[in-house]
Amino acid sequence: MPTDLGSLLVQLFSGLSRAMMLFLVSSGLSLIFGVMNILNFAHAALWLLGGYITFSVYTALVEHYGVSFVFLVPAVVAGTLALFAIGLAIERTLIRRMYGRELPEQLLLTFALILIIGDLIRLFWGVQNRRIILPIEPLPILGTFMNPYLFVIMVIGLVVAGFLWWFLARTRTGKIVRAAVYSRDMVSALGIRIPIIYGLVYAMGVAIAALSAGVFLPIMPIGLGLDMDLIVQCFAVVVIGGFGSIVGTFVASLLVGIVYSFSILIWPGGALAIIFIILVAVLIWRPWGLFGTEMRF
Amino acid sequence: MENYEKSHGWDGLVKILERSMGRRDFIVTSAAAGLLALTPRFVRGATNEPYRIGVLLPSTGAGANYSERPIKGLPLIAAEINKRGGLLGKHPIELIFRDTQTKPDVGAREARSLILNEKVKTVIGSWSSAVAMAIQEIVHEYKVLHLAATSNSSKIVNENYTPYTFMFGPNSQMQSSATVVAVSRMIKEKGWKNYVTLGLDYEWGRDAQRVFVEELAKVSPEIELKKELWAKLGETDFTSYITAIMGLKPDFVFGAIAGRDNETFLQQAKAAGFFQRVVYPGVFLPVTELMQQRKTLPRGIVGINRCPFFAHMDQPLMKKYVDLYQAQFGKEDYPDDFACMYFDSLNGLDQAVTKAGTVETEAVRKAMTGATLDTCRGKLTFRDCNNQLDCASYLGEVVDVPEYPFPIFDLKTLIVVEGRDIWLPADCEDVRKLQKKRA
Repeated sequence: MPTDLGSLLVQLFSGLSRAMMLFLVSSGLSLIFGVMNILNFAHAALWLLGGYITFSVYTALVEHYGVSFVFLVPAVVAGTLALFAIGLAIERTLIRRMYGRELPEQLLLTFALILIIGDLIRLFWGVQNRRIILPIEPLPILGTFMNPYLFVIMVIGLVVAGFLWWFLARTRTGKIVRAAVYSRDMVSALGIRIPIIYGLVYAMGVAIAALSAGVFLPIMPIGLGLDMDLIVQCFAVVVIGGFGSIVGTFVASLLVGIVYSFSILIWPGGALAIIFIILVAVLIWRPWGLFGTEMRF
Repeated sequence: MENYEKSHGWDGLVKILERSMGRRDFIVTSAAAGLLALTPRFVRGATNEPYRIGVLLPSTGAGANYSERPIKGLPLIAAEINKRGGLLGKHPIELIFRDTQTKPDVGAREARSLILNEKVKTVIGSWSSAVAMAIQEIVHEYKVLHLAATSNSSKIVNENYTPYTFMFGPNSQMQSSATVVAVSRMIKEKGWKNYVTLGLDYEWGRDAQRVFVEELAKVSPEIELKKELWAKLGETDFTSYITAIMGLKPDFVFGAIAGRDNETFLQQAKAAGFFQRVVYPGVFLPVTELMQQRKTLPRGIVGINRCPFFAHMDQPLMKKYVDLYQAQFGKEDYPDDFACMYFDSLNGLDQAVTKAGTVETEAVRKAMTGATLDTCRGKLTFRDCNNQLDCASYLGEVVDVPEYPFPIFDLKTLIVVEGRDIWLPADCEDVRKLQKKRA
């Protein structure tokens, strides 16, 4: 195992960036389940769709105006807004019919969405991997190198975490959303239109996922099936943190990202196993997750 | 007409897959190719039964990227054979495609469905070795031919052998041993002392890594393996692996990574300064990667591939493949390693049927066992004890050349390692000892 400061620091940064990637994808999943009690199995498929839309917008901008990494910003914004609209439409037309239904029915519907979204992607974008090429040069750090774009991911992860905290803790809508986590009937009895809140939460959760997909494109090619590779780890993070708890998702992402990163140095064969050992331990000790609430469980 | 629809329904998906050409160009070329394939059906006289072939390839999952060109190109080869009436001039080929999703259970289910419902006589595919081994159980049960065009774990032809499976590319052991040939030369030249391996944690990755480590220990016993790293198939973030390897400061790294994961790894490794710190010889770089990563692939790295068209443009069959493919999909696109091996498998089947004089499966299997085939890589012979084609692995330095719009392997220094020189076990008696005793 390397013991020099540079290598350890870079390993820590790589763990932090992995953590922020997991947080960006998982936070929407946690929010949707926490507020709406909907297990959105299609979350990663919508994440993938957001990535493809971002890719197409970026490609179109580059074709019209020439190559510039600045175009990534409007492309990511467009992808995020598009998925916000798509999320709203899905919630209004499909998901709303699932409120109060049994979990297997929710899983069936959201699994069907995975297949539909997958085929739509195949139809419009084909099976080739897609990615955005940016002229990223390695950054020298204490005698070793690091991908500087990882800092961009870390900053965006922190900004999204901060935004979600502000939204849920400091805004009236956020407070209603939090109240709905505890008792949707009481919120409804106060004359607040729960369906609007649900639509907003679902669209916001999906939009955050789309944002992350766009942000990852310069370091991660996207392709069909990637959603299924990602969703398992996201569920692990959300279960460890506690469904519905953004703080829990954030802490769990940090835990998973950093533990995974250093496990590769110490026990590479068991890096993934350690994550699932933590998951099992949490499920036994606190089935509602580290920061979840027992009453929802 | 029903036959025609079955064999050409895939044209629709091919159109969807083809995104690099303009819509109008593509419609015109697709229509032309469709007519080309259709014409012989109506001009020839009465035909016998069609010969149905199931093609099992992933259009989702880690291997989807490598399936595009075989899916696009196989109908062209089938149409060529059908121009003369099909196999033996009277059995037109029908291709029935199924998506394995790069999952063994799905691959096995689809293989069974193809055999029982579609009555296919041959199954071609798949990409993942784990899927191919699941398919082997099914083809052996139903006594159907299986042409493993690209999945290449050595277990397919050794431990999991069935006489119905034929492998058209170098297997993982041959590929790893070929890398050993190149790496052992570099160890001597550069005085390397230690290395690290990074593999995908599934059948092919484990097999390729194991063979490399074992074979390298035989030729360079002084070299130390510092660490074995395993990433899951479908890994999305290799950063922690990359930084860990750089921290370990090995003299070189052996990688057993393929598919989308390979693209992800190379993209993340380059941005992280990996290639400035670590030598990475023997990275799997099929023509697919050379084309797709033309802008970002580090020049000068030493890669390995299985069937590069650029090394065999002197072979009439390879030239024919390239011409056929480009006539349909444009001059900028080339058939990759996988497409060429799939084309060889279909043409190989045609040759075996001709030799057998019948499409009856047992006769075709016997004709193909130990047969010498005309392939795009020249005349190649199947090893009769395990149905492994005696084909080469190609190692070379990634360089830009004026002839192609993407980098290729430097043809001046290309190392071609022939299959018979490195395959293991070298003795057929030992191969038979490894093979599963099947009912």
